[in-house]
Amino acid sequence: MRNVITYVIAFLFILTLNFLLPRMLPGDPLMAIYGNEALIAMTPELKAHLIERFALDQPLWQQFGAYLVALVQGDLGYSYYYNFSVSSVVLGRLPWTLLLVGTALIISTLLGIVLGIESGWRRGSRRDKSLLTGLMTVSGFPDFFLGILLLIGFGVTWGIFPLSGAITPYAGLSGAALVLDVLHHLFLPLTALTLCHIGASYLLTRNTMVTVLKNPYILMAKAKGLSDRAVRYKHAGRNALLPVVTRTGIQLGRLVTGVIFVEIVFAYPGLGYLTYEALLARDYPVLQGVLLIVAVSVLIANFLVDLSYSKLDPRIRYAH
Amino acid sequence: MPQLKTRMPFRKALLILLPLALVCCLLVIFYGGRGQPSESTSYTIADSTGDWGYPSPYTHYSRGPGYVRMSLIFETLVWKDDSDFVPALAKDWGYVEEENAYIFELRDDVTWHDGTNFTAEDVIFTIDYVKTHPNPFVTLIGPSGVREAAAIDDYTVKLYLEQPYAPFLHDVAGTLAIIPKHIWEYVAQPEEFTDAQAVIGTGPYTLADYSKEHGTYLYKAYEDYYLGKPAVDEIKFVKISEEMIPAALKEGSIDAGDVPPEVVSEMEEAGFTIITAPYAWNAKLTLNHQKEPLSSKQFRQALAYAIDREALVQITQRGHAMAGSPGMMPPTSDWYNPNAPQYEYDPTKTEQLLKGLGYTLENGYFTKDGKELKLELIATAEFKAVGQFVKQQLEEVGIKIDFTTLEAKTVDAKVEAWDFDLSVYGHGGLYEPSILKRVIIDKGFNSARYDSNQALNQLIEAQLSEMDAEKRKELVWQIQEIYAEDLPALTLYYPDWYWAHDGSVPLYYTMDGIASGIPIPLNRLAFVE
Repeated sequence: MRNVITYVIAFLFILTLNFLLPRMLPGDPLMAIYGNEALIAMTPELKAHLIERFALDQPLWQQFGAYLVALVQGDLGYSYYYNFSVSSVVLGRLPWTLLLVGTALIISTLLGIVLGIESGWRRGSRRDKSLLTGLMTVSGFPDFFLGILLLIGFGVTWGIFPLSGAITPYAGLSGAALVLDVLHHLFLPLTALTLCHIGASYLLTRNTMVTVLKNPYILMAKAKGLSDRAVRYKHAGRNALLPVVTRTGIQLGRLVTGVIFVEIVFAYPGLGYLTYEALLARDYPVLQGVLLIVAVSVLIANFLVDLSYSKLDPRIRYAH
Repeated sequence: MPQLKTRMPFRKALLILLPLALVCCLLVIFYGGRGQPSESTSYTIADSTGDWGYPSPYTHYSRGPGYVRMSLIFETLVWKDDSDFVPALAKDWGYVEEENAYIFELRDDVTWHDGTNFTAEDVIFTIDYVKTHPNPFVTLIGPSGVREAAAIDDYTVKLYLEQPYAPFLHDVAGTLAIIPKHIWEYVAQPEEFTDAQAVIGTGPYTLADYSKEHGTYLYKAYEDYYLGKPAVDEIKFVKISEEMIPAALKEGSIDAGDVPPEVVSEMEEAGFTIITAPYAWNAKLTLNHQKEPLSSKQFRQALAYAIDREALVQITQRGHAMAGSPGMMPPTSDWYNPNAPQYEYDPTKTEQLLKGLGYTLENGYFTKDGKELKLELIATAEFKAVGQFVKQQLEEVGIKIDFTTLEAKTVDAKVEAWDFDLSVYGHGGLYEPSILKRVIIDKGFNSARYDSNQALNQLIEAQLSEMDAEKRKELVWQIQEIYAEDLPALTLYYPDWYWAHDGSVPLYYTMDGIASGIPIPLNRLAFVE
């Protein structure tokens, strides 16, 4: 229960920030709320309507009320650049980012855990050393740089993967061919993101693994005559998992912001690219919409992580 | 034994990795044959932004590329090719001076994409509709306005102007997309009108698909087009990041796209046709003429002499631009006045002028009444290199510059409030001189907002209503002379813009830009003939 209250407070804080930021920008708040494009389309009637809709002539707390009411109705504002409601613009892009970020998060975490357990189990072995060096090198690159390298190699030079986008436009594909086409476009950006983020969960698992292995219960498990694998995964691995899971929740936020650069490199039609376009067009409503959606999804992810704790570590349940 | 056992989970990892690798291999095999030449009658154009809105007159984004996508479907009364005005929906037109009206004789063989005949009624309807539903590309209220539109018969219309307006063909008749009355008369909210009916026009192409997320458009040729079925059956717009356009051209997956100046010679060697846009955009140094010491004309001129615009082009634009002309109109323009003051780089003149204004050089910097001369220069990060160059040049002659890059909105807010000394910004539209009013005296943020010279104001208004081309040119020449003399802003450079294409369609830049001045070489006529 205490947990839920923490999340509600965090959520309200984000809402307040999202409400205050555009109103604190220098100049006309109407322009900050609606972006440059609104000025071009602005007629006196429209202006009056907008001022009324967001209660801009009222004191700040009443404006906040109007903002909340609109939000409850699913109204994230209107983009005068796209000539569409912000929610429809953002929702159109969300699935592509979820596909890219979600897959990258899952693959990089799982691979990181497996490799980390293997590495930590025999610390100092040749396999451990080569994994450590290899992964540290790759993860040291910024994701967009890896993306550019992959794009130049596999896209431009060898022509194996497409140069941009998420599907081949107007290729008339459907069914399995369409799925393959989507995967084909997904491969390079996904690889860039995954390679870049694998290092963190790998290192964390490996380090925890090393500590966990020193515990007496590992000796006990070995003494019971359990197989190496059972000790490694069930006894050591599971206990090494907790910090990695915590990190994965936080990681999501980083991935969503990090994906901006990867999406720009590959012209991938996700939220990251939308953020970039909105910045260029100075489309503040869309920027705020993206900010809100990202903040809320990070909150949700952390909430799910919190829930999964008790499954992974029964002690948590007793602690509360 | 333990040695062997430790391998087991590693195998497990392999079990995950192997299928992944397999899928990749399969993909490679599946798509190995990608990039085969597209059908001869399909044409693919790359764009790094992709989405420019639904290509209907009220829903495309109010930027050039949005208009261009709309202009494949909707037509105007007159149109332009690379050298002149050409007939479009009107086969002939003329100006009646006594009545201050234009008469347009319309084609009688035009059909809307749904089969309905196009008549004078549609033109009259469009004019009335745009008056009540303002369109960002055409203003029909005010000086460029149409007081009344009358149909003389089914295929003749007469448009009475509010006042004589010289760029009427360019800004209105050649830009206003005519919409079908039988559809739009029921549309009250044109900005939200995005169904299939909203893209019924008279143009050579119909819209087959539009994807907002992917930024793609698919157009099909309109079989019953009055000039005959278009030569290209299918036009596609696809989104490709700027840096990848040259690679995509070479790979053959696209036929045309804009390319950065650095790759131009490489693309030419690879057999692509390169076309260069006539200069239409300029970067400017705005001088705060409302505030001491920049309120003095001599002071502003002194600054102009201190900035080497040729060197600026070489250093900040790597040579891919033309040095700015103080009269604003680019030297390649038909309207360019070569007699306007040029302010060739000459720091000694700066010194003379500043000394004449009472400044003295102390320790390499100018001071007056014991106070050091220091100016504040602001710009967005986009103009960082330009700003730094200007700072360096002015400091060399002895004017201290405090240069800061700021977020765009902050720059606008400061400029708007006259809270700056110097600022760098840019704008396009340098084709038709009607832009001069907007960027010299009007209040918009791209404007120098310089309205204290009455002679200049009068000339700018007069050229707009001078219907005689030669006389108008004379007025525009005088404007450039006074503007360059008064120097409320100094044009620094005009950047080079290039498009590369495979030559299968003869793309060209339209005279004075598509419609009201869009510098994109995608004139629909290139795809028709």
